[in-house]
This record gives sequence, structure tokens and C-alpha cells, in this order.
Amino acid sequence: MIETGYLQVLASVALAIVALILTFTKSIPVEKEIAFGSVRAFVQLIAVGYALEFIFNSESFWLVLLSVAVMLMVGAYTAGQRAEHFKNGFWIALIAMGIGSLVTLGMMLALKIITVEARYIIPLAGMIISNSMNATAIAFNRIGSDLKSNKLAVETALSLGKNWKDASRRYYRNSVKAGMISILNFLKTVGLVALPGAMTGMILAGASPLDAVLIQLIVGYMLLLAVTISALISAEMSVRKFFNAAEQFVG
Amino acid sequence: MSCNETIILKTRELTREVPKNGSVIRTVDSLTFEFNKGLVYNVVGPSGAGKSSFLRLLNRLDEPTGGEVLYYDKPVTSYAPTDLRRKISMLFQIPYLFPGTVRDNLSFCCSGKQEFDADFHLRRVGLKAEYADMGADDLSVGEKQRVALARSLFLEPDVLLLDEPTSALDPTSSRKIEELILSLARELCLTVIMVTHNPDQALRLGGKGLLMVKGKLIESGDTAELLTDPSSDLGRRYVSKELE
Repeated sequence: MIETGYLQVLASVALAIVALILTFTKSIPVEKEIAFGSVRAFVQLIAVGYALEFIFNSESFWLVLLSVAVMLMVGAYTAGQRAEHFKNGFWIALIAMGIGSLVTLGMMLALKIITVEARYIIPLAGMIISNSMNATAIAFNRIGSDLKSNKLAVETALSLGKNWKDASRRYYRNSVKAGMISILNFLKTVGLVALPGAMTGMILAGASPLDAVLIQLIVGYMLLLAVTISALISAEMSVRKFFNAAEQFVG
Repeated sequence: MSCNETIILKTRELTREVPKNGSVIRTVDSLTFEFNKGLVYNVVGPSGAGKSSFLRLLNRLDEPTGGEVLYYDKPVTSYAPTDLRRKISMLFQIPYLFPGTVRDNLSFCCSGKQEFDADFHLRRVGLKAEYADMGADDLSVGEKQRVALARSLFLEPDVLLLDEPTSALDPTSSRKIEELILSLARELCLTVIMVTHNPDQALRLGGKGLLMVKGKLIESGDTAELLTDPSSDLGRRYVSKELE
């Protein structure tokens, strides 16, 4: 097992510096983002480390709940920013991601895969929310651009007496699929193209590869359900925003 | 009773206001008119007159901000929008066919129906039965417009709204579509309301005409009279192409 301490972290800063030099010499305008991002990541993660240490030791259910709520709010805000073509993106994202997270974690608890402990709930909720956030953001983006660019097809369907659901079904399905593409690709290539994060972390921390694989499988199926629910709900709720009660396309 | 004695569609003070560059403009301005069953109507006027905006209000594709549309003397808002649009069907400038075959498109509006006579629907718009199994993408624009027309007729509408349906076609295909529209209107007792920017086309179609300028109905009457001997100053300026 490798030794990890502040010395190793400081040494790893050299990697970020090389990235900074490479982009600077090629005049890629990201040097500020690299510098700021690297410092920000350091501060954020150290702060989170201390916060988690405190929450795990306190064993307070309310602190766990608060942590998950904060993650959800930040995730929903970030995904909501992608709702460029309609209003209330934040609330739709919050509902979609909230239900996705609740159902997934609830099933894992009911099936006794995990227990109500901060050390399970918080990291798993983090993974669920971050993946749901990406799925929601992609679904938002896709439904907006698809409906806008296919106005003629949508209005042709409406003019033939179809309701908004039928007129937009193709774009709804494409949007859900786009939101799920990342997890679907992950399931196809897991272990073949790259070792996933949870598994890599466990192996680096000294766990046996077989134990790491078992955890990774659970994580994979967990993310599949959370992403599926979030993509379905976010696409369903956002597509509705493009139509009014008179079955008119208002996008 | 001949089919054109019934008033099928009425507009009363129909108005649509839309925001534009920080202000509000009236694309349709207090337009009152009555459409009879089985007649062909040409909606003419210069660019930006609000012709297409007017058409879109008739089957509730857009909502008016004032006034109302009556279908068989009942406000269109009293019908379910999906039912209304089956009876007042609309064809757009650029025909859109859904992915799949011509047959899939013909039955698009009635996916529950298992069996239908594709040959009959295709013949009605001057296409041969072989077209039924052709891919929608393999057709020319003119053929697509005919299939789109057949698809609308599949619903057996009372009113057909046509938004410059021949503007993307060559002159020969355009003439064929015009003849088709006239024969269908006669044969099916169909009310056809067609927006056209081409006065010559309106003259060929005959029937009744509505001249719109800046959202207002300037004058109406027999198309031939409207476009050869208009009674209003704006009408004369439109005919002499001063308004284009």
C-alpha cells in the first residue's frame, strides 16, 4: 500500500504544474482555470475530508441528511443551469435527482446491501447525485435542442391531431437515452477500458481486487438505477415545459 | 343544399399580439371573416402581412390574444385541440414526413388502425400504389407534399389550411398541386384556406380571396376581382406591387 500524506499530495502538484506549462506553451487559454481549479480542488477536498471525519465520528443521522441535502442542492443547481430553453430547471433537477437518489438508496437499504451509516450513505449518495446530475444536465440539453430544431416535425404531428406526448415522444426517448449513455457505456466497458474510480480507490487503499470488483458491481447497478430514474423524470418534466394546455408548442 | 352554403369557420375580431424587440406588434389585427364549406380561399398580401399567423390561429396552433374563432358556430376552445386539428388540418410550406415508409406516414394519425387502403389514399393525390412502401426520404419535395396532403386527408378533415404549400416546388409540380387542391375541394366538399405570396397562383385557384396588410384584412371577395380590380387604395398598391 502506498503511503499518502501531505508530502505526497504536494509532490503530485508537480503533475498539475506540468499540465499548466503544456497548455501555456501551446497558448491554450486555460492557465487561469488550471491554477484556480487545482487550488480550489485542494481546498475543497481537504475541507470535505475534515467535514466527513467529523460527520462519521458524530454518527448523527441529521448531519448525514444535511450532507446529502447540500449535495442534492448543488447538483440540482448545476444541472439546472443546462436548462437553457425552459424555466424551473433547478426544481425539475431537484425532483428528478431527489427521487432517483431516494429510490436507489432506499432499495439498497431495503435489500440490506448497506446499512444506515454515514460511511456508506454519504459516499454512495455523492456518486449517485453526481451521476444523476450529469444525466439530468444531458437530458435537459438534448430535449431543448431537439425540440427547438424539430419544430416543424412537432407541429406537423400536432396538426395531425396528436397530443403533446405523441408529438414529442421521439425527442423524449432520445433525451432519456442521451442522459443514460454515460452509464450504459460504463457498463459495457467497465474493466476493459479503465478500472472505475471506486474500484481503483479500494485497490490503492490495499483491498483485494476481488473485493473491489464486488463493490464496483454494486456501485455500477446502483448508478444505473439512479441515472435511469433521474433521466426519465427530468426528460418527462422538461418536455412538458415546451407545450401548454391547448397542445400548442411554446418552445 | 349545396355544400358551400354552410358557414363552417368564422373569426370575430381575431387578434394576435407578439413581443418583438422590446415592444408588442399585432401580427393579426381584429380580423373578422366567414368561411363557407367547400370553397377555396386565397389569403394574399405582402411579406409580413400576418397571413401565416392568421392561418395558425384557425386550428389553434397558436392562441389569439383577442377575439375568437368559431367552428360550426362554437368557439374552437370548446373542442379538444386534438379533435379540432383532425377536422381543421394544416399543411406547411416545407412538407415534413416522419421516418419510415409512405404507408407509415399515411397511417401516422391513426396508429390504432391495422388495415387501410393505401392505394386509395395515394391515388387520391395522384401517386401510384408502389409509393406505399417507399422510404419517406426517397421522395422528391413535390412527392412529399402529395404524401403530406394524403396524410391530412386520411383524417377526413372539413377544412384544409395550406401555408404556401408550393413555394418549395418547381412550376410544373406547383401547377399539379394546385389542380389537385381544386379537384379535392370539389370532390370532398373541402374548405381550403391557402396562404400564398403569389397573386398569379391565387388567380389560377380562383375562389374567394382575402387581402391582408400589416395584420389587417383590407378587403375580400372573388379572387379574380380582388387581384385585378381592388376597391381599396392598399389593394391597388398591392396589385401594382408597391407593397412587396
